Amino acid sequence: MGAWEIILIVACALLVGGVIAARIVRRAKGKPTCDCGCDCAHCVGCAHASNEKTKR
Amino acid sequence: MRKFALAGNPNSGKTTLFNSLTGSTAHVGNWPGVTVDKRDGVYKKTPEPVAIVDLPGIYSLSPYTPEEVISRNYILDEKPNCVINIVDATNLERNLYLTTQLLEIDVPVVVALNMMDVVEKAGDKIDVKALEQKLGVPVVRISALKEIGLKELMERAYEVSEGERDGSSVLVDTPLAHLIGDVKIALKGQGVLNPLFHAVKLVENDSIEAEMHRELAPMVEEFKATFEDDLFGDDFEAIIADGRYKYISKNFAQTVTHKEKDRTKMTPSDRADKVLTHKVWGIPIFLAILFAIFHLTFSEDFLYLGAIFHLPTLEELGLDVENYGVRWLACLYDGAVFSPGVILNNIWNNMLVGELFGRLGGLVEESAMSPWAIGLINNGIFDGISSVLSFLPPILTLFLFFSILEDSGYMARIAFILDRMFRRFGLSGRAFMPMIMGFGCSVPAMINTRTLADEKEKTATIRVIPFFSCGAKLPILTAVAGAIVAYFGVGNADAITFGMYVLGIVVAIVSVLLMRNTSLKGETPPFIMELPAYHAPQFKNLMAHLWDKTKHFVKKAFTIILASTIVIWFLSHFSFSWDFLEDEAINDSILANLSKLVQPLFTPLGFGSQLGAYGWVFVVAVVAGLIAKENVIATFATLAACLMAVVGMDFGDLAIEAEDGIDAVQAMVMATGVSIPALISFIAFNMTTIPCFAAVGTAKAELDGKKRYTGTLLFWLASSYVVGAMVYTIGSWWWTLFLWLAAIALTVTGIVLWNRYGKNGRNAIWARGKSS
Repeated sequence: MGAWEIILIVACALLVGGVIAARIVRRAKGKPTCDCGCDCAHCVGCAHASNEKTKR
Repeated sequence: MRKFALAGNPNSGKTTLFNSLTGSTAHVGNWPGVTVDKRDGVYKKTPEPVAIVDLPGIYSLSPYTPEEVISRNYILDEKPNCVINIVDATNLERNLYLTTQLLEIDVPVVVALNMMDVVEKAGDKIDVKALEQKLGVPVVRISALKEIGLKELMERAYEVSEGERDGSSVLVDTPLAHLIGDVKIALKGQGVLNPLFHAVKLVENDSIEAEMHRELAPMVEEFKATFEDDLFGDDFEAIIADGRYKYISKNFAQTVTHKEKDRTKMTPSDRADKVLTHKVWGIPIFLAILFAIFHLTFSEDFLYLGAIFHLPTLEELGLDVENYGVRWLACLYDGAVFSPGVILNNIWNNMLVGELFGRLGGLVEESAMSPWAIGLINNGIFDGISSVLSFLPPILTLFLFFSILEDSGYMARIAFILDRMFRRFGLSGRAFMPMIMGFGCSVPAMINTRTLADEKEKTATIRVIPFFSCGAKLPILTAVAGAIVAYFGVGNADAITFGMYVLGIVVAIVSVLLMRNTSLKGETPPFIMELPAYHAPQFKNLMAHLWDKTKHFVKKAFTIILASTIVIWFLSHFSFSWDFLEDEAINDSILANLSKLVQPLFTPLGFGSQLGAYGWVFVVAVVAGLIAKENVIATFATLAACLMAVVGMDFGDLAIEAEDGIDAVQAMVMATGVSIPALISFIAFNMTTIPCFAAVGTAKAELDGKKRYTGTLLFWLASSYVVGAMVYTIGSWWWTLFLWLAAIALTVTGIVLWNRYGKNGRNAIWARGKSS
């Protein structure tokens, strides 16, 4: 296996691991994981939707 | 940092003001209820930066829906340094109702008279000085849209935020003033913040207040027992509302001077509404507009000119289709004039993305890397990414048209015209707004259901939102419809896509009907919605919507979708013993073996065991689609090249030059022999099944209880299975239509009988049995 192949495998592993880790971290922080990019007027709702529910 | 809250009636321009002040691109729509939660931003042009908080619109501080609770709680509990009350100047008296309530809170208030440009254009005048004197707080004329008066507004707000303000009430001249005063003193003695506001609410019989201050209830009740209004009896909420409106019309009406005009003459909005919201023509016009949008986005024969006039192709005209200039011409015309969406699509895919990935792929092929690495880069990465990116033009074109409808005010009308129809099925027209948002993304659509006060209506709406095909499902629709047209030479891509959208709406309606007559039975809440005036869509807003969509689509393509295609490539090229497999051997891969276990489940839907050795790719696509729906086509693209090697074909064998995604589906058709009904069933299944993980998570957060959430997941699975099976069987064997009709008739009869004679039915046999 040449250097390019090793770099390719490491890059793929980092990308897949990074995407999964980012999702887990975002979820833990209570941020949304939709494709709205978290900067729309609705998205902030995901974060404390459950808190508001409890308050009500 | 100081905090300024933006509070006002729905659709008064709070988010537009928020965007202008903070440079944000929060979603703005011309209908009430776009914002359902608070959001923060920073304004930096004051001596020190100020946090701006955009709150959901509220008509009063007596909340009925969750998002109204958020606004009230924020103003009372978070103690902003200033409340900027956005008032729609074109509808002053109604908007001032909330102002009179805000004034009762011990917080500095500035009133921003928004849409003053519209007032002036209509020839009306508002005496701002007189209004300021009567309210006792600064009043500033602004136009949030045109960014006029914003600097002065922020200067005045900053100025008042340096001091404090005691609440004042406009109810001082009413018979209840004495009681309110007594309760206020009592509350103040207890150290309650905002005593005047709470006193008024307590007298009003506000349920939240009554719960908070139980000890004062006897005093209030004692007074109320001796008091009765001639008009409203002992309805204290109505007495107080009447007191406010009387004060507003007496004191503020004179600050407005209307231009002399013929009141019987209809405004342009009224004239448009006469046609667009017509009780008979309203729905057909809506469907015609929807079809026009799909035609402009997907049709390869604009206005069917090619079919009508039998226009010649470029080859028939003797042009060299390989010539670079002719290739550009081919993006616009080839035997038919293409629709604007298809022209953009052709330019993007044939001249830009296709060219780019083609060259990159060539470079990789020529490199010294081993075959598996070349396969991973070209098939696993480039094909997956390019197939998804190839759908950016139709997605943006479609959303441009939807944004125009939303920004113009037509969307709100659709809710209005559909209310009558929806009501028969058990939902109010209000539920339509989140559903229509579902065409963009199911997540914000589900969050918007917070505007529905009735929990059962909310649950039913959340369950059917995924049936309104979101942007992520568009690649599935476009690619499969395009492949059907290209490979089988059947139908038009725009008609198939439009048909699938309509199928989604029909399934939603039938599902609602079913739920509201069985598990989610209940009264349909009344629908009251303020119809905004029509206005020309704002270029800035449209561009902001499109930029958001592009940004998130590209981001998703290079993160979650890229990661998924890499995983799929690895799983399809390794066996359980971790041996690398060539393309020809992917049938022995981990992916193939796992998928084959599930494959028989999809046989009734047409893409199961009947597809033979390579049918499992459809199962992989369905499962990958649960992560993100774009993955369905990305999966096809990743596996297409392998299958081509297996069946000894290459993309050059395909009948037409088409985008990557359509090519990939054609490759699947060639390799598996899947039929047209099965392909349509595949689209229908993906449109109605469990949405992506993000939407499932949102549904869980928004639904009331675990039971409702589990029920929702089962509902999605069952509905997609039934719809897919129905499409496949009827499409394959027409006579099965009668079997399905018989099954539907039996189900309906069963529900009717259950509702009439069942446990809780009108003529419940069991109940009668008990009483006798």
